[in-house]
Amino acid sequence: MQKITRLSSLIALSIVLGILESFIPLFSIPGIKLGLANIVIVTTLYIYGLKEAVLVSILRILFISVLRTGFGLNLYFSLGGSILSLFGMFIAKKINFSIIGVSIIGSTCHILGQITIAIILLNTNLTYYLPLMIVLSIITGTIIGYISQENIKFLKNK
Amino acid sequence: MKRIWIFLVLIILIIFGFIIYNKYSIKCYEKDFYYFDTYINIKIYSNNSKKVDKAFNYIDELFKSYHELTDRYNSYNNLINLYTINNNVLKDEYLKIDKKLTKLIKYGISLYDKSNGKIDISMGNIIDIWKGYRESGYGIPSLEELNYVNYNKISDIKLKNNQIKNNNLNIDLGCIVKGYVTKEVGEYLEKNNLDKFIINAGGNVLTGKKYKKDKYKIGLEKPTNTADIYKIIKVENKAVVTSGGYLRYYEYNGNKYHHIIDPETLFPTNYMESVTVITSDSAYADFMSTYLFLLPVDEGLEIVNNTEDLEAIWYISDDKIVTSEGINKYE
Amino acid sequence: MNKKDVILIITLLVIACVLLLFINQEKGNTANVYYDNNLVLKINLNKNNDYDVKGYNGNIHINVKDSYLSVTDEISPYHICQKKKIHNVGESLICLPNKVVIKIENNELDAIVGD
Repeated sequence: MQKITRLSSLIALSIVLGILESFIPLFSIPGIKLGLANIVIVTTLYIYGLKEAVLVSILRILFISVLRTGFGLNLYFSLGGSILSLFGMFIAKKINFSIIGVSIIGSTCHILGQITIAIILLNTNLTYYLPLMIVLSIITGTIIGYISQENIKFLKNK
Repeated sequence: MKRIWIFLVLIILIIFGFIIYNKYSIKCYEKDFYYFDTYINIKIYSNNSKKVDKAFNYIDELFKSYHELTDRYNSYNNLINLYTINNNVLKDEYLKIDKKLTKLIKYGISLYDKSNGKIDISMGNIIDIWKGYRESGYGIPSLEELNYVNYNKISDIKLKNNQIKNNNLNIDLGCIVKGYVTKEVGEYLEKNNLDKFIINAGGNVLTGKKYKKDKYKIGLEKPTNTADIYKIIKVENKAVVTSGGYLRYYEYNGNKYHHIIDPETLFPTNYMESVTVITSDSAYADFMSTYLFLLPVDEGLEIVNNTEDLEAIWYISDDKIVTSEGINKYE
Repeated sequence: MNKKDVILIITLLVIACVLLLFINQEKGNTANVYYDNNLVLKINLNKNNDYDVKGYNGNIHINVKDSYLSVTDEISPYHICQKKKIHNVGESLICLPNKVVIKIENNELDAIVGD
């Protein structure tokens, strides 16, 4: 019971973060986002595990689509980014990277996934954005990782 | 611990691999210039970026120099150019000019006989009158008006040891300078082993050796709808130049008057919409495209078919395009 | 933050730099305009001109100047595709609400000659 409550608040938090970050347009491609809501995903991954992280991710994406962005291209960008991100983070965690390392890999995969889907669906060559994106994900990944780390330490001690 | 070092070494090897690969692979270096009232785009295909940088700097200086020397409407500090010569009130004085300008003017004079009088660089006054009417968009000059200012003759241009006599001249080098300078740029690039390039100086194209399996593909703009291309030609080591009246013109009383004036009639010609010339020498291409534009198509066709290393395409109207005999080597 | 993370960051930065070396930007000659994935207009980037294209919400105004293409007017909530100009092969502008995509395609031609 406690788990369901906890998970619900995590999902709610990630939805709020997701909506907030959808106000920041990136690269004049609507729908591509920074991935700040990943704080919640990383936290969930460490406290509960992959299954729960997947659940939170998918629910977050669906709710955000219903509440704000609609069911257009944005949905596919988010799904692509999240799936690749979860996959990457799961493997990174298994290879014993630190929380920050896992988060950086998560950010990189998230943006990579979004761009890949954008290239496929919009049929346009966006690969020249890659260098900038990689640098961005290192920065956001580190920040998210640090926040998540503190978060996890705090929650584990409770 | 050890695995991390192996990993690092691998990364460094990969970086070196990429750097070496890049250093020796051919890349496209591109630069834009704005001279002679037109956009010039130059693409050089090379693996030596330092040489290309040096070349672009040299080319910029070269363009700038010719641009200032042949500018009829502006004066430049400490420079005697066409503006100076054409506006100088001290008659019979000799003005010392840059060697480059002397050579260019001499070249222009030689084209008068070569073209049986159709290319006349002393026609500045006539061009100015037509420019005035074209800008106002109203009326056409009368023959009296034109004859009144048509006192400049090609023989009035007197050159002696890099000095030019001021003889009430109004020299206009506009129709020959782009091809002439493009040719010099091409020669510089070849001399410096940067022989794979394509220069597009506002319609004056010069190509060097091809950089990939295919030759350079040049699209010919359709005069009646400039967004369209009516033909694609494939060339290597050739110059491609088009002359046409479909961009700079004005309409009056249902007729179109463009900017290429026949020295004999003192009026623009109406034989075609445009003509494109393909030949090895860029200056010659510039000259021939203007010359052919001022001739009836069949006369021009006869000349081209009887000249080696010269092909042309005349766009007379949407349903009439004439090509010279050897054009298929560029198709 | 441990050693592994530092290596990760350095590796990613190196990859980013290497990618930069590979990016060879070539100036574009033509831009293709698609409405709802159908090609509706081919624009010659070498001529300064203005164009109007029908979009889902209304007309989109496109301007070409000195080989740079930009969208100068568009009916949409955030005007995201008006925020930048495109110039090189591969670049594109995406006006999502109007279902219009403007792409600079690979140069089939090395040059276009005209007057």
